[in-house]
Amino acid sequence: MNDEPVVDVQAATKIYSTPAGDFPALRGVDLRVTAGQFLAVVGRSGSGKTTLLNLLAGIDRPTGGAVRIAGTDVHALREARLAAWRGRTVGLVFQFFQLLPTLTVAENVMLPMDFCGTVTARRRRPVAMELLDRVGIAEQADKLPAALSGGQQQRAAIARALANDPPVLLADEPTGNLDSTTAAAVLELFTTLARAGKAVVMVTHERDLTGYADRRLTLADGLVVSDAAVPA
Amino acid sequence: MTRPRVAKLRRDLWQARGRVALMVVAVAVALTAVGAMLVARAVVSRAAAVAYTGTDPASATLDVPGGVDATLLARIRQRPGIADATARQSITTRVRVGGQWRRMLLFVIAPDDPLRIARFTVESGSWPPSPHGLLIERAATGVLDASSGSTLQIAGADATTTPLRVTGLAYDPALAPAAQERTGYGYLTPAAAGRLGYTPTADQLKIVVGGPRGRELDQATVDRVAGDLAAWLAGTGHPVHQISAPPYQHPHHNQTNTITALFLGFALAALVLAGVLTATTLGAMLAAQTRQIGAMKAVGATTGQLLRLYLGATAGIAGTATVLAVGPAVLAGYGLAGLVAGLLNIDLTSRAVPGWVFLVLAAAGIGTPVLVALVPLVRAARITVRAALDDHGTDARVGARRLDRRLTRIRGGNRTTVLAARNMLRRRTRLVLTLALLAAGGALFTTGLNTAAAWQALVDDGLAKRSYDAELQLAGPAPAAAVRAAGAGVDGVTAIETSVTLPATPANGTGRAEVERTYPDGGHGRFNLTALPADTTMVHFEPTDGRWLRPGDTGVVVLNQAAATRLGAPRTGAEVRLAVDGQLTRWRVAGIVAEVGGPATAYVPAAALDPLTGTPGLATTVRIRTAGDTQAATGRVEAALAAAGHPVAGTTPTTELRGAVDQHVVIFIYTLVALAVVMAVVGVLGLASAMSIAVTERTREHGIMQAIGATPATIRRLVLTEGLLTGLAGCLLAVLLGLPGSAAVGDFLGRLAFGLPLPLRPSYPGLGIWILLALAGAAAATLAAARRAARLTIPQTLTHQ
Repeated sequence: MNDEPVVDVQAATKIYSTPAGDFPALRGVDLRVTAGQFLAVVGRSGSGKTTLLNLLAGIDRPTGGAVRIAGTDVHALREARLAAWRGRTVGLVFQFFQLLPTLTVAENVMLPMDFCGTVTARRRRPVAMELLDRVGIAEQADKLPAALSGGQQQRAAIARALANDPPVLLADEPTGNLDSTTAAAVLELFTTLARAGKAVVMVTHERDLTGYADRRLTLADGLVVSDAAVPA
Repeated sequence: MTRPRVAKLRRDLWQARGRVALMVVAVAVALTAVGAMLVARAVVSRAAAVAYTGTDPASATLDVPGGVDATLLARIRQRPGIADATARQSITTRVRVGGQWRRMLLFVIAPDDPLRIARFTVESGSWPPSPHGLLIERAATGVLDASSGSTLQIAGADATTTPLRVTGLAYDPALAPAAQERTGYGYLTPAAAGRLGYTPTADQLKIVVGGPRGRELDQATVDRVAGDLAAWLAGTGHPVHQISAPPYQHPHHNQTNTITALFLGFALAALVLAGVLTATTLGAMLAAQTRQIGAMKAVGATTGQLLRLYLGATAGIAGTATVLAVGPAVLAGYGLAGLVAGLLNIDLTSRAVPGWVFLVLAAAGIGTPVLVALVPLVRAARITVRAALDDHGTDARVGARRLDRRLTRIRGGNRTTVLAARNMLRRRTRLVLTLALLAAGGALFTTGLNTAAAWQALVDDGLAKRSYDAELQLAGPAPAAAVRAAGAGVDGVTAIETSVTLPATPANGTGRAEVERTYPDGGHGRFNLTALPADTTMVHFEPTDGRWLRPGDTGVVVLNQAAATRLGAPRTGAEVRLAVDGQLTRWRVAGIVAEVGGPATAYVPAAALDPLTGTPGLATTVRIRTAGDTQAATGRVEAALAAAGHPVAGTTPTTELRGAVDQHVVIFIYTLVALAVVMAVVGVLGLASAMSIAVTERTREHGIMQAIGATPATIRRLVLTEGLLTGLAGCLLAVLLGLPGSAAVGDFLGRLAFGLPLPLRPSYPGLGIWILLALAGAAAATLAAARRAARLTIPQTLTHQ
């Protein structure tokens, strides 16, 4: 594995202005994730987990510090270029899947290829089918998301996140809406993807990450409390 | 294979097919109105031009009292600048129709006239008719109550009637339609004119000004050549009393074009409203898809890609509406063109719609909704991923804004109404758009009806300023005192007044013959100089500037608005010059008055025209007030005057004047009302769309309310109240906007038609109709949507996205 960090965060700070005053969601967070690592970000509600993930995805901009993903200073990208960068570099998985309800599973997976133009039109369906097979739901390809279970929808969302073969996968509580068995299957999937060379950063409330994540980053009140390996 | 983004768009539109249909219908209805106006204007303008120029109208007509014989005519044809010439005669007389007199204009044409100038088409019968017959213009069959084979009792030179048989019909589109002028037109030979007692004298010299390159169209050149010819004729012992050189276009060309342009503006306003409806609906649909937009941006969609996608959808909706509108637009345009052509008495020889009409229709139909939708689409496409994914269907600012906090302090009142009012104010931008749509639709609707009411009011008020029941034109000037004495004692006459009216022309003071713009029908372009008592009881025109005549006035003139326009809008106190029978007269303007239903007229004190007539105390016109049967009393006055040696050449009951004025404007009023209905439809569709969206957006909220105890009836009541409050607010705005709108449109139309602004006359029935429409539309839209929402179970509403 290349030790050059794919995710490189230096002294990232994020302060939100609210009617009640300035709220520091992140206070000088440093973070490095290399390819093939599976990082779990944990902490209580309001600790800054989702804020950190948003900074990594370019969804939010740091108030201070730097965020570098796969060699690109994300914090310096203009809004107009962020979407295209994100589609090629980062695969996003959400708690509530965010699949487009009027597109089939296969079409949802092909959507990033369509927007980013990374795969020719003729190759999109075969690639989508490969990805769906990889996540174990190839037979659901032509169904609408509403016809799938929660776990199947999340697998479809993961396949979509892999559509443009991004080096980084970011997941915001991907198991929050799933039962324990299905959650375990999804965590297993992320582990497999990390082993295949992806840098996976997952925000989670899951307590037992043994056998899945390599590292656990604990946040509290916007600060890194601990950053330790997860026992195998 | 279809791209996923296109597949998504297609399926989203199918899911929202009700709203899509609403948008398509709104744009199609408005575009149909636009297209109908374009088609009608294009077809009628072309037909009017073809019809008029097809008659080869004279460039100018010179009134040569001594007549023009064949030898003189041949010399005239050799004059420089004269491409062709002919000499005819026009006789103004009257005809007996069903017990009353109707004005008739006879065109006397020699049988050997080559009919190269001022031609007409023989539709039935043949030209020339026998000395016992005449052709009548086809549009005059109604006015004269006659057709081929009928016999007309036509008043001759000695006022007795002579029967002439109608041997055929002629089509003469160069004349203003007979029904509008309440005048019959006849075409006969000098021999027939002789049978009526008139001396055949070809005193109307008609010339075509031009050269090797064809007819001269420059008015100044035409005036100069006509003036030169008049000077030459005077030098050869043939004085010219009057030169008329009307514009080379149909008499109603300018009015028709301007009015149809205004109506096109109305229709385009409806299209803009439909565009706003489309924008509002699409904006709301995108708002409901905010999280999906966030998800698309999260997986790589750029703002530009999303914008192109949704603009494409807008163009698709607009394009569908355009395709649907083309057929009805053309048919409606043909219908309107037919009505206007009938009004103008022109044949639509070609109904071919010019290609540019379709191009304009396509550009307007697609371009307008796309342009209007640009703002909400850009806003939706530019949303950041963060904002989109954080969106929960409510405005986070709700509750944080000052107005929201003030609303929470409202105590008492019905809880449902208070909550509905707060809900109404949650999405301010959409509320503003919805209210704008309603207000604009209602304002245009009420403006249309207000203008129609104002038009009627102007005509009513204007004609009410005439306190006489009939006007009689004497066959020749007669002693005024004798005329009054003969008429005063007639049974049924309660008041009688005489005046002198002479044809006049605004004078340029150069000494050359003045050129009028009067058309051959003698009506359009006419300018009168009328002397009447300053304390007249027959007319009460309201001064718009200065004052009316006063006893003892000398050297002053009061102009009606049409005369003031012809004289270049002189201010009170300015000097104006008028040429009367070749003599130059000077007057100081004492005032300008508003007069409806009359030609351009300058009013002077009773004795002011004595120097021009050469004899003091003459009368050419008699006005009478009657009690009981006006027609019978008028007949008795005529008989009395004839017996006293003062025969009458024509009579005009004031009711006839009303009919002539109404004929000029009726179709335009109906068109205005039809456009107002289009506005109303688009406005109500917009409201329906907005309320449907608002209800759908709050599906989860309603589910929460039901989960904590609210009944479906409560939800329906809440939604209905919000809809009615929105509808009511829109109505109030419509009333406020409709008044200045009506004033502006009324000012424009009134000045165009009468030279006077229309009064501001709110149409209360129209207002009532709009309020009912808006409230009923709001209720129907919200009820339908509320029923749909109430049928959902609580789990369904809570998971609604």
